[in-house]
Amino acid sequence: MSETVIVAHKLYKTFGEGETEIQALRNVDLEIKRGDFAAIVGPSGSGKTTLLNILCGLDNVSSGDIKVSGRSLQAMSGSELAQFRREHIGLVFQAYNLIPVLTVLENIEYVMLLQNVPVAERKDRVRKFLAELGLEGKENRFPAELSGGQQQRVAIARAMVSHPDIILADEPTANLDSETGGQLLEMMRKFNEELKMTFIFSTHDPQIMERAKRLITLTDGRIVTDELK
Amino acid sequence: MLWKLAWRNLWRNRTRTWLSSLVIAIGLVAMIFMDTMMVGMNANMVKNATDSLMGHAQVHALGFRDEQDVKLTINDLEKTLLQLEKHPDLKARSMRIVTQSMLSSAGGGEPVLSLGIDPEEERLLSKFDEAIVEGKYLDSVSSQKIILGWKLADKLDLGLGDRLVLTAADAESGEMVQELFRLSGIFKTGEEQMDASMVLVGRKTLQTMLKLEGRVHQIALRYANLSQDGVPVNPPEKPELSSKNELLLWTELMPSLYMISQMTDLSMAIMGTILFLIIALGITNTLLMGLYERMFEFGVIKSIGTTPWQAARLMLYEAVCLGLISIIVGLIFAVFVTALFANYGIDYTGIEFSGVTFQEKIYPSYKWSRLVLYPFMSMGFTILAALYPAFKLWYMLPVEALRKRKF
Ligand SMILES: Nc1ncnc2c1ncn2[C@@H]1O[C@H](COP(=O)(O)OP(=O)(O)O)[C@@H](O)[C@H]1O
Ligand SMILES: [Mg+2]
Repeated sequence: MSETVIVAHKLYKTFGEGETEIQALRNVDLEIKRGDFAAIVGPSGSGKTTLLNILCGLDNVSSGDIKVSGRSLQAMSGSELAQFRREHIGLVFQAYNLIPVLTVLENIEYVMLLQNVPVAERKDRVRKFLAELGLEGKENRFPAELSGGQQQRVAIARAMVSHPDIILADEPTANLDSETGGQLLEMMRKFNEELKMTFIFSTHDPQIMERAKRLITLTDGRIVTDELK
Repeated sequence: MLWKLAWRNLWRNRTRTWLSSLVIAIGLVAMIFMDTMMVGMNANMVKNATDSLMGHAQVHALGFRDEQDVKLTINDLEKTLLQLEKHPDLKARSMRIVTQSMLSSAGGGEPVLSLGIDPEEERLLSKFDEAIVEGKYLDSVSSQKIILGWKLADKLDLGLGDRLVLTAADAESGEMVQELFRLSGIFKTGEEQMDASMVLVGRKTLQTMLKLEGRVHQIALRYANLSQDGVPVNPPEKPELSSKNELLLWTELMPSLYMISQMTDLSMAIMGTILFLIIALGITNTLLMGLYERMFEFGVIKSIGTTPWQAARLMLYEAVCLGLISIIVGLIFAVFVTALFANYGIDYTGIEFSGVTFQEKIYPSYKWSRLVLYPFMSMGFTILAALYPAFKLWYMLPVEALRKRKF
């Protein structure tokens, strides 16, 4: 039996009003279980980013219910949401994830510092991930000194170190060539398998989709298929 | 962590940071410099006034200052003197006869204020002895010698050795009495009133002439241990009302002068506020520019769990760092600039300001409280400047910020 991390029910999201109204999400029902490795796919403008933003409380829904790790997001204030994301959700964006003035080490540590994780444990966790991600020796580099693929790996490390319930990644490979993108996905898959980390990522790259264990297809804000492979 | 991030963010745009801190620093320097000059100028004016005749305080019989009545001499002189001499900081005192009189020479007459003094006592209170430009200072309390200002000498066309007659009302009958003097010295103090309408003679001679043996109208007092404003730190005790005497500090004798120094404090405060407000607006603008440039980044920072309050603090800390740099730069400059002027001074000599002529160059003078106040003020305004950007950052929704970047 596996535990449910996200339950979304009848999500609607509308942008704008009247003439310019856009229905970005329509009647979305979604359940994500611990250990899922799900890809949200669909053409540009289909609502992938909107859905991911809503799942982590960055954006609010127009109507519908959403529970993450058993907590209802709608009721939380900005500050509570920030703390909730810090504790329960890891985020990876398409690019420019890292704080340019902080080193690799400091970027990875950042969330743990906000969480007041003790120094020894902090160093320990960082070291572990750096090794896993093949970034040893790059601790004191600044993001600008890394390749795009390395930057994304650091972003995944940052998302992982705080032991979240789920990692949401919005087109994490879109700015990478397909080989690097594939490697990044392998890495995510490894974490998924070894550490039972739950991943949801969006993509419109067929090669990337292949590696997902679950495919959720969005078209015009509607889930059209949701299949396990 | 937030401090580290704020500090590094500050140095992302070095030029902008240096320019901002330079602006704040220049404001700080300007304030400190103006302040030290004002304090220096005040000290100079006060010193001029208190050193040239008035002293730091004066004792009179009640009513004398208003009526100038020759009969109103200090009551219980012995006791009063004893009382005054008890003060630990008393440096000098000069007892004076002060009377309105008529000075006549072969060339004509002129109303003057006659002072009967003890030349030795007076040396310590005023600077007539140093101001002699022709002839000699008085040498006795009881001679027939007289000294007067160069303007009066010019007007009456007087030369050393000329015979002069002083006419005044005596204290007994109020009848006019006359005395013959010989001009023995001419002084130039730079003070219009003294140079044009004041004569000095021996105290005893004047006492005899006015039938005031053993009595005086005025005791001028000088104290050590003054505050930076020139006021005795331990103010002398005021005589009781029953003594029918009064003791007034220079601040009461010349309230306008005292007011100027108090007003400079106020005007400096106003000027400082305006100056720093303008600077603060510039800083706000700069910080906002930085905020907009880094919008996406702040979006990421807020998305990954930085609370709104932590994000706002990031901006405030950046301002605090900027303020600190500016203060350090500003203080270094300020010390340099004031040290420069402290060496050379600013030459205002001969310019008259509210009845007092500057006799000496003006040197900047520090008030420690202000040197502390202004840096705090610039820090305060820098933080003030960051309030709006900090609020923006606090308020900003991370999704909005994340949309700012098009891939
Ligand atoms: N802030 C917004 N204001 C108005 N329309 C928006 C906004 N964000 C997204 N949309 C619209 O919602 C739809 C879904 O967008 P998005 O979720 O970004 O799609 P995807 O990530 O799949 O490309 C699009 O039509 C887009 O134009
Ligand atoms: Mg998108």
